Amino acid sequence: MGISIAGQSHAGAVRGCNQDVVAWSAADDGNSALALVADGMGGYQGGEVASRIAADTLLETLAAQGGPSGDIPGQLKAGFVLANARIAERRGAEPQLEKMGTTLVVVWLVGRQAHIAHVGDSRCYLLRAGSIRCLTRDDTVVRKMLDDGSITEADVPNVPFRNMLTRAVGAMDPVELSYCCQTLEYGDRLLLCSDGLTNSVAEADWGALVQAGCNESVVEALIGAALDNRATDNVSVVLMTLDE
Amino acid sequence: MASLSLLVDNVVVNTFDLNRTETRIGRRAGNDIRIDEISVSGQHAIVEAVANAYLEGTTDYYITDNNSTNGTYVNGIRIDGRQRLNSNDMVRIGWNEFRFIDEEENTLEKTAYILD
Repeated sequence: MGISIAGQSHAGAVRGCNQDVVAWSAADDGNSALALVADGMGGYQGGEVASRIAADTLLETLAAQGGPSGDIPGQLKAGFVLANARIAERRGAEPQLEKMGTTLVVVWLVGRQAHIAHVGDSRCYLLRAGSIRCLTRDDTVVRKMLDDGSITEADVPNVPFRNMLTRAVGAMDPVELSYCCQTLEYGDRLLLCSDGLTNSVAEADWGALVQAGCNESVVEALIGAALDNRATDNVSVVLMTLDE
Repeated sequence: MASLSLLVDNVVVNTFDLNRTETRIGRRAGNDIRIDEISVSGQHAIVEAVANAYLEGTTDYYITDNNSTNGTYVNGIRIDGRQRLNSNDMVRIGWNEFRFIDEEENTLEKTAYILD
């Protein structure tokens, strides 16, 4: 068994700065790997700081401290709690950062079990035998209104608060996260992305792009498509494959 | 505050504030917005003002056609259910054209999008 990972983050076709962060770490024994995408927000420089704190904290607490133990959901939650506290502390200490926060989606693949935790609207998809399935549910006002039937998919592009999050790391006390576990088959891929990808390249158009070959080629193809569509937001993709 | 402005040849001739939980539109007396014109049904449509359950301080406006004869249209499409209104939507009641304006929505577009 082996795990291969590739990822890339791009400022997009319009923005001058990149507030997204991608990161990953694979264990030397090839049995586990951690990957994440964080999409920071909150004014000048704030977003970059928040997403970087979140990424560094998760890598430090999960990958660097001896890898997975028995209570993986508990370890993930502890990482999110610490990231939330660190961002909140910086918010309190620096007035210019008071509005910062970040989304965070993390996959911790241990053996064939993918442990997925997230806050916000960065997503995790399962790519299996030509099918594409989103494993996360956005923490957005729009998602909740779709779920309760207040609006339809056709309304979404016109809703003024379509980017409004109901959860963000660094902006909640205590932090609330969503967690799920997915058993992978050999050849399965997990794709993590920021909303810069999903807003510029519709899932319906991913078909040929995600068949592009190795992880690096797929990541390259998706980001290239986003840029071709003049992505107005930062675009980030991480792709993880469970190899035999 | 949201409102419906009645347009004639693209000129606003009357503006109705949507300051009630339910605003009834129709030809009969007793409607909150009364349009005494033959294409409008007695009780034609209703606009509801509903506090957004997930976004404190935000009000959403929904329009529902009340089985009218000539229909209710939003941006040229006849509605067949409850439809959320967005600022600057064109609402047609029978042959009468309105523009829906929600000033607070315009403000919301410009604010930061993180929730505290």
